[in-house]
Amino acid sequence: MITARRKTGLIFFPAYDWEISPSHPERQERLLYTQDQVMEEGVLDIEGITEFKAGLATEKDICRPHFCVPDVESRITPSHSVSAGGCIEAARLVLDGTVDNAFALVRPPGHHAMRVVHGARGFCNINIEAVMIEWVRKHYPHIRKIAVVDTDCHHGDGTQDVYWHDPNVLYISLHQDGRTLYPGSGFPEEFGGPNALGKNLNIPLPPRTSDEGILHVMEHFVMPVLKDFEPDLIINSAGQDNHYSDPITNMSFTAGGYARLNEILAPDICVLEGGYSIEAALPYVNTGIILALAGVDYSYIREPDLDPERIREDPRVIDYIRNLTDDLLDLWSRREHFERPQEEFFRRSRNIFYDTDGISESQHEVVRVCTECPGAYRIDSSASTGYHVLAIHIPWGACSRCREQGLAWFEKPDRKNYYAVYLQDMDNDEYSVKIL
Amino acid sequence: MIIGIDIGGTHTDAVCVDGRNITATAKTVTGDDLVHTIRDAIEALAIDFSKISRTVLSTTLSTNSIIEKKYAPAGMIVSAGPGIDPRRYFFTDDFHLVEGAIDHRGREYIPIRADEVARVAGTLKKKGVDGVGIVSKFSVRNPSHEIAIHSIINSEFEHVSLGHTLSGGLNFPRRIHTTFFNTAVMPVQKRFVHSVRKALAELGIRSPLLFLKADGGTFSDSAADRHPVETILSGPAASMMGGLALCHDPQTTTLMLDIGGTTTDIGILIGGVPILEPKGVDIGGLKTLVRGLKVMSVGAGGDSCVRVSGSEILVGPDRDGPPACMGGPSPTPMDALAVLGQFTKGDRQKAVQAVTPIAGRLGQDLSDVCRRIISILVGNIKKSACAFIDEVNRHPVYTIYEMLHPEIVEPGQLMAIGGPAAQLKPYLEESFGMRCTVPEHAMVANALGAALARTTRQITLTADTQLRRMICPELGIDEQIPASMTLSDLRRRGERELRDNADRLGISAQGEISVLEEQVFNIVRGFSTTGRNMRLKLQTKPGVIEEWSAL
Repeated sequence: MITARRKTGLIFFPAYDWEISPSHPERQERLLYTQDQVMEEGVLDIEGITEFKAGLATEKDICRPHFCVPDVESRITPSHSVSAGGCIEAARLVLDGTVDNAFALVRPPGHHAMRVVHGARGFCNINIEAVMIEWVRKHYPHIRKIAVVDTDCHHGDGTQDVYWHDPNVLYISLHQDGRTLYPGSGFPEEFGGPNALGKNLNIPLPPRTSDEGILHVMEHFVMPVLKDFEPDLIINSAGQDNHYSDPITNMSFTAGGYARLNEILAPDICVLEGGYSIEAALPYVNTGIILALAGVDYSYIREPDLDPERIREDPRVIDYIRNLTDDLLDLWSRREHFERPQEEFFRRSRNIFYDTDGISESQHEVVRVCTECPGAYRIDSSASTGYHVLAIHIPWGACSRCREQGLAWFEKPDRKNYYAVYLQDMDNDEYSVKIL
Repeated sequence: MIIGIDIGGTHTDAVCVDGRNITATAKTVTGDDLVHTIRDAIEALAIDFSKISRTVLSTTLSTNSIIEKKYAPAGMIVSAGPGIDPRRYFFTDDFHLVEGAIDHRGREYIPIRADEVARVAGTLKKKGVDGVGIVSKFSVRNPSHEIAIHSIINSEFEHVSLGHTLSGGLNFPRRIHTTFFNTAVMPVQKRFVHSVRKALAELGIRSPLLFLKADGGTFSDSAADRHPVETILSGPAASMMGGLALCHDPQTTTLMLDIGGTTTDIGILIGGVPILEPKGVDIGGLKTLVRGLKVMSVGAGGDSCVRVSGSEILVGPDRDGPPACMGGPSPTPMDALAVLGQFTKGDRQKAVQAVTPIAGRLGQDLSDVCRRIISILVGNIKKSACAFIDEVNRHPVYTIYEMLHPEIVEPGQLMAIGGPAAQLKPYLEESFGMRCTVPEHAMVANALGAALARTTRQITLTADTQLRRMICPELGIDEQIPASMTLSDLRRRGERELRDNADRLGISAQGEISVLEEQVFNIVRGFSTTGRNMRLKLQTKPGVIEEWSAL
């Protein structure tokens, strides 16, 4: 009989009846071998590790972080409600003290889904971590500062986008350099919006980075930053496609490395993101993560074909990562001294591509630069689907000026040709839509 | 005519059933020699032994030998490969880890070393160990390592069990525990079966002998010889099956309460079938792969100790002895019933003496206190029953369909058996707000459950058309299949195997076969489908035999 040092909750939801398409990586088979491995290892019989049933996220839960265009119902399938609902359950277990930490081993993933949702990007429709985080902020107001450490191989451009203007959610992403991989973003210059400078940190890693490189970043960058930020809740977006066997990426991380990463990070909640080496990686990585969360010895967890020498990174890669980490830490230490824009409103325009659904979107964003609160903002978004909408966000803890500004944007849209105008009023937990 | 015998800790009950009639019942004291006890119980039935078509036993033999650790030393040869350190599951010096590893799809990646296995076998032999259990990780996906180890040590040991033959379920630590217990109780069970056969023959009974299993089904004596571990925890199984046999409306979801002196066992019957533990039952503090009924045991019974704490009355969870009205040391719910005149067997005066101080301390009327004691007992049972139902309904599901269409278990009636059941019936009905049936013959429900349970067996089939391999661990099938095999092919094959191997599995070939689980996954590599991974669990359906239920 093995006893865990920490009580760990597992929400396992493999969605055995859902796929994007029959041969898509996001298909029924994805977590099958993980389940086999976890079952055969008897992980769920370890005293202290308990499996719990997933839940269903409600429409309101999804409206908190997202503007779904034209509406929630048409942008998601029930699988997304369960996957986000599984994350909510994981958070509930932790925050109610039922367990010390929890792992939402659910699919489909979410970290490429942005605040405005016209369709699916990078296999994601809604951002399951963001749905969970907003649910937590609504139901557990004492949780003020949240850190998301995204260890998926792809830059979590969706999570970055949702929290771009939010100084209370620190987003840190370690990923394969965007010059070599989808979605092509995630560079250190992407440092957060004018009201949240320094609260978005990207560490693009060279292809073939292995355990030493990634763990170096964890120990010498992520952990010192978290120590400074002092989050009330740490979330790991636990994508598993940094694994050396992953078919759609080029990194060299191992199951043991992933377990060690979680041991170092000690997150409150882990959420599965990507990872498509469903036979050679996921069974071992997931087992390793669960054991690391529970504080059970994981040192014998190893892939059958592991050859550490073959996948060890070039010394030059390590040097590169050391320098990058030092530069980023320096940047972080100067975060308070960055100059904010002088004007009251800061604007940015950009184009977003939804690769999974083949949709193009054009956004024009205006944020109120504010020293009192995270700042209200509006997004004018038009997509190739034909929808042109205006979306307004009044943040948690909005000051009266930002609240007034947000409501004014909503009451008197600047043009008549929007399909609809949306409003997120976080403090009042009200999500309105006006069809024009 | 069928004889059912339930050997309990204190009493042994026997019942004789002919068609739909209970023609004889007997109650004897359980002695040290179980074979004698069985013989006494059968003789006490005073029936014509030549007409007996079968005898079914529910015994505590294997349960007790595991709990009391009264079993022969058994060795274990275990191969695992990477993963959680298997030595964490070793609990005697006779557990040995050898090389060898198989992955989740049943592919070998570290072979067995014959010299190492032979050396371990030699060590065990030298210590005088007679029984050996053999387990490898993922043996239910590829049993070849267990089989190879067996062939290396085969001739040297008298009692051998192979993990994959005991259950098709995934769970390596449970497989280790199950295989160890099976091997360890094998000599005891073999001796017992042999002696019982002899005793029956002496009485002129030559018809089949069966044993009740933890899952509420039965199997033949020869199967019990090979798989004695399946006879653990047959006591609660007997009572659930007895309740089922006596239930007038088995199609309504039923909450079964077996209320004893010390504990109440809670179970659920759905559509005439008791619900099972999904992964396997626990015994001796360890988890196994043994298929068994899902039963919750709660420390609340007729003899539960009654105490006062402040203005509260506490009932149970312990038992001090018999009720005061039966000469016991402290007040119990039975005494409360006796004071109220609802239990008439004991000495009411003694009951009054025992409960009066409680009424005094609380400054309450004696009969009010008695009613309060009983409602607390019933309340404790209800609280546990609700938690039990809640646990059943909180079972994780893995498909969107099941998430959106949950099958909520909601009992519509109560069935109570056991000593105090009849007296508690009105209190139970009031507390639960549903009808409660206390059947006739409730006193011999356990023996009746043994007599009337169907034979059961579960098999697991896994087919991987990419690897062209089909495995049925319980039957030792490991063969090549065509890439074109479909799930319905697999189902037909499984049904045929279950019938063709009925004898070997110790079951009736006529049993109704049902599908417990079936799943099929496309195996996609690159961007094309390269095969199908199919999983199927078949069983002969548990329940009460048709001769009884059809009439």
